[in-house]
Amino acid sequence: MRRRGFLGLAAASALTGCGYRSIDAIYSQPAGSVPKQYANRVRVVFWSPYGGVNGKAVDSLVAKFNDSQQDVYVEVQFQGSYDDVAQKIAAALVAKQAPDLAVLSDVTWERFFLNDALEPLNGYFTDGFGPAVFQPKLFGEYVVKDQSWAVPFARSTPIMYYNRDAFAKAGLPDRAPRTWSELRSWGPELAKVQSGGRSLRTIAFAKIDGDWQFQGNVWQFGGAYSDGLDVKIDQDGAVAAGEWQRQMVHELGLAYMASSASTDFANGLVGVIQESTGGMKTITSKAKFEVGAGFIPSEVSAGIATGGGGIGMLRNISAERKQAAAAFLAFLARPENSAWWTTQTGYLPVVNAAREDPELKKLIAEQPNYGVAIAQLANARQQDAIRLYGRNSNVAIYTGLQQIYADNAAPREVFRSVARRLDAIGDEVRRQYEEKVL
Amino acid sequence: MLTKPADGALTRRRREYGLFALLVAPNLLVIAVFAYWPILYNAFLSLTDWNMIAARPTFVGLSNYRRTLTDPAFHQTLWITIVFTGLIVAGSLLIGLALALLFNLPLKGRGVVRTISFAPHILSGAAVATIWLFIFDPGYGLVRALIEPFGSEPPDWMNNSDWALPGLVIVYLWKNAGFTALIYLAGLQGLPKELDEAAAIDGAGTWTRFRAIKLPLLAPITFFLLITTVIGTFQAFDVIAVMTGGGPGDATTTLSWSIYKEGFQAFNAGRAATLSIVMFVILLIVTTVQARVLERRVHYR
Amino acid sequence: MKTRPLQYVALLGVAAIFLGPLYWLLSTAFKQPAEIYQWPPVWWPDQLTWENFSLAWKAAPFDRFFLNSAIITVAGTVLKVANAVLTAYAFAYLRFPFKKVLFLLILGAMMVPGHVTLLPNYLTVASLGWINTYAGLIIPGIGSAFATFLMRQQFLTLPSEVTDAAAVDGAGHLRTLWRVVLPMSRPMLITVVVITAVEEWNNFVWPLIVTNTAEMRTLPVGLLILKDEEGLANWGTIMAGTLLVLAPMLLIFLVAQRYIVGGITQGALKG
Repeated sequence: MRRRGFLGLAAASALTGCGYRSIDAIYSQPAGSVPKQYANRVRVVFWSPYGGVNGKAVDSLVAKFNDSQQDVYVEVQFQGSYDDVAQKIAAALVAKQAPDLAVLSDVTWERFFLNDALEPLNGYFTDGFGPAVFQPKLFGEYVVKDQSWAVPFARSTPIMYYNRDAFAKAGLPDRAPRTWSELRSWGPELAKVQSGGRSLRTIAFAKIDGDWQFQGNVWQFGGAYSDGLDVKIDQDGAVAAGEWQRQMVHELGLAYMASSASTDFANGLVGVIQESTGGMKTITSKAKFEVGAGFIPSEVSAGIATGGGGIGMLRNISAERKQAAAAFLAFLARPENSAWWTTQTGYLPVVNAAREDPELKKLIAEQPNYGVAIAQLANARQQDAIRLYGRNSNVAIYTGLQQIYADNAAPREVFRSVARRLDAIGDEVRRQYEEKVL
Repeated sequence: MLTKPADGALTRRRREYGLFALLVAPNLLVIAVFAYWPILYNAFLSLTDWNMIAARPTFVGLSNYRRTLTDPAFHQTLWITIVFTGLIVAGSLLIGLALALLFNLPLKGRGVVRTISFAPHILSGAAVATIWLFIFDPGYGLVRALIEPFGSEPPDWMNNSDWALPGLVIVYLWKNAGFTALIYLAGLQGLPKELDEAAAIDGAGTWTRFRAIKLPLLAPITFFLLITTVIGTFQAFDVIAVMTGGGPGDATTTLSWSIYKEGFQAFNAGRAATLSIVMFVILLIVTTVQARVLERRVHYR
Repeated sequence: MKTRPLQYVALLGVAAIFLGPLYWLLSTAFKQPAEIYQWPPVWWPDQLTWENFSLAWKAAPFDRFFLNSAIITVAGTVLKVANAVLTAYAFAYLRFPFKKVLFLLILGAMMVPGHVTLLPNYLTVASLGWINTYAGLIIPGIGSAFATFLMRQQFLTLPSEVTDAAAVDGAGHLRTLWRVVLPMSRPMLITVVVITAVEEWNNFVWPLIVTNTAEMRTLPVGLLILKDEEGLANWGTIMAGTLLVLAPMLLIFLVAQRYIVGGITQGALKG
């Protein structure tokens, strides 16, 4: 009976054509506007999460591409955050629409890959665009069973930004702390510095998406989020990292949770932050003090998480659009473009040869901050699988962190319940993961 | 051009039917497709697991309901929704009534103040929330400016679980109190003067007259406001979306936010549909109670 | 008449509470950025500037948001009120089998909370190919239950001689509606129009989920985008954007508050 009712409803919804996708159907492009001079070209819609300084850099790259050839017109459509881009794509697919290219974050591309929404890219590789061209670590993160599902673009690691003026006032050395314990010992000195009518806090923890930085922190304290899909966040290393942060906030009053840590830092309210290297240009241009940068501290070991965005090509688009989109990806893979992107934003150069670019070399010589992430890349590694493949496990983790920062909740308790959620999330994806990834 | 009367009546009637259908059909069609069909569709989706990226939903029976109803996070969401709704309902009614009593006094300028207090009600929730986000800003917000001269430091409202929910409640009260005041005022002005005057002659004080005469007579209005505020608050979304996004932690994750989160952030159509059905059932109970009570009121009149 | 100092203090206090946030918005929007981030705060801007508005304009296409909001508000209001008026007229003056049941069916739509319909309606609109279109933004909202109810109540209060006389004159129904019934119901009609327009303008969650490009966004959603883009870094810009969203409704409110207030109290006391 229940089954029959269900089938009836299913039939009814099929009648109204409720947007179920066929994997190789060709979907229409999201609407937009094409300037007259580009009207006769193949249009490529590119969904981007970059606003502000970084958004302008994307616009410039795209404009340069559009003027460099006669056949393809790329239209950037800003969609909000990384998560917004992912949501909008899922929504578009239901609507039988698909952008051609999209920036997918470290934790969203897997979902589209697992559900057959991405176009495999090996077939589009050429001499100037392929495995040999890209930085191997960053390129390899998108390779599953020898097939590439996206290419690196705005890749990053967290680095430690510090307020050099405040450090000088506090009588601290002009460098980032080497260990978390060292940072803690500097806290009271920093608190003596006044800013905005109150004493300077040592570090701000991100309210949203802080689980990315925390992935590294967990490794630095000897723990892990997971081993494969087996959740480990409730075990000692992760709990120690959470406990260290809890004490900084609630027992020492040196740290706090910030809606936008980088804004607070740029406004001089806090001494250090762990923030993406992709924020370098933004932060440096907003701050009214000397910005310093260094490696993220270690504690029992070093290790930081790679992150940021790669570009994936949607599968449900026409062959013509795919070729056009690939042409743009190849354009981005040219060393000079990759290097230019780095100089304008601070993101890692994802193309090997970009490191030899004279402009970039010059910038690093003048502003060593831009070289920090590149040097630190040796310590970087891909994140634990549960954060990458578990649907919204990042939200589960940063929601837990918020409870530690905001409510002084005990990390062991918090992570125990986070682990329960992650277990459930892992179970949801396990079959697909074992089938397609392992 | 005379036709037989019977014939004429028949044609006229047929025409009337046709016209009726023509006039009503568009409205009925939109209502059927966008108000009734969603309930059935939710019921269907709630029996499936679908991430909206996979090609199609898979049937999972009642497991969404089983999982949801036994999930401690859901219990917490429900609790937060109840607290949130309770605070806003109680607050709007109390403040609204107090304002109405004030506006009912023969004071100069009361009309202007009444209008001012009502204005937030018609303003965009997203915009109001944005203003208050700045007011609550611990660095440069109005609250800090008002509090600090008295030597206390403002909380970091939206980043603190203990303060975020009260903060939202304040915003909703600011937005809604003028509305409840307006309705109460209309009610107060519609009360028969004689009763009040008679009681005053009998020597009853202001408070006694208010409690024994006005308040009971205002009961139907209180009831109406109670129901509409409950229904409105259950669906509160824009202010939450702008100010907290359900956080920090899950501190302001109400049922309406979790529907959005599951449906449009986590791509969990089955779960979102299940939560939608839960909300539908709760509000259906509320409106049924309302309908029952109204019916009784009408009968006893 | 005794003076009431305490009551006047209370009245002033109430005015301050409700005006304060709006003043804070207004003054910030016209402050220079340096003044916004000054401590203690600057209560009265030293020098008024339009800089924040041009920055907001630069950060997000507010002209486009404005146009979209206007289109949606006007079209949505016209269609919804037309639906309400036509349906109400039919139920008030025309015969039809099972009229009562049909009317209950329409009123029953009020029992369906809008938030519950989000996901299914999204999927329906998607399968109609209406995502990110004006049709998708407007059509799902033009069904009318409450306004229909109000209009029908209003029509029933009209003396029956009026419509009978029109019928004798040989005026068709539509003409009766247009020439006689609507003019006699003018205050209620204005109320319904204004309240519907305010709702359409302020609508947030539906435009949020059904649009995906800046070209199609409305002002309230655009504001959220501006806030994300500015990352709470620049309150001046954000407040300027907020003011752009609020200003039209404040204007309408000042002009038509009588009708809004009248309609809302009537709805409450009769409902």
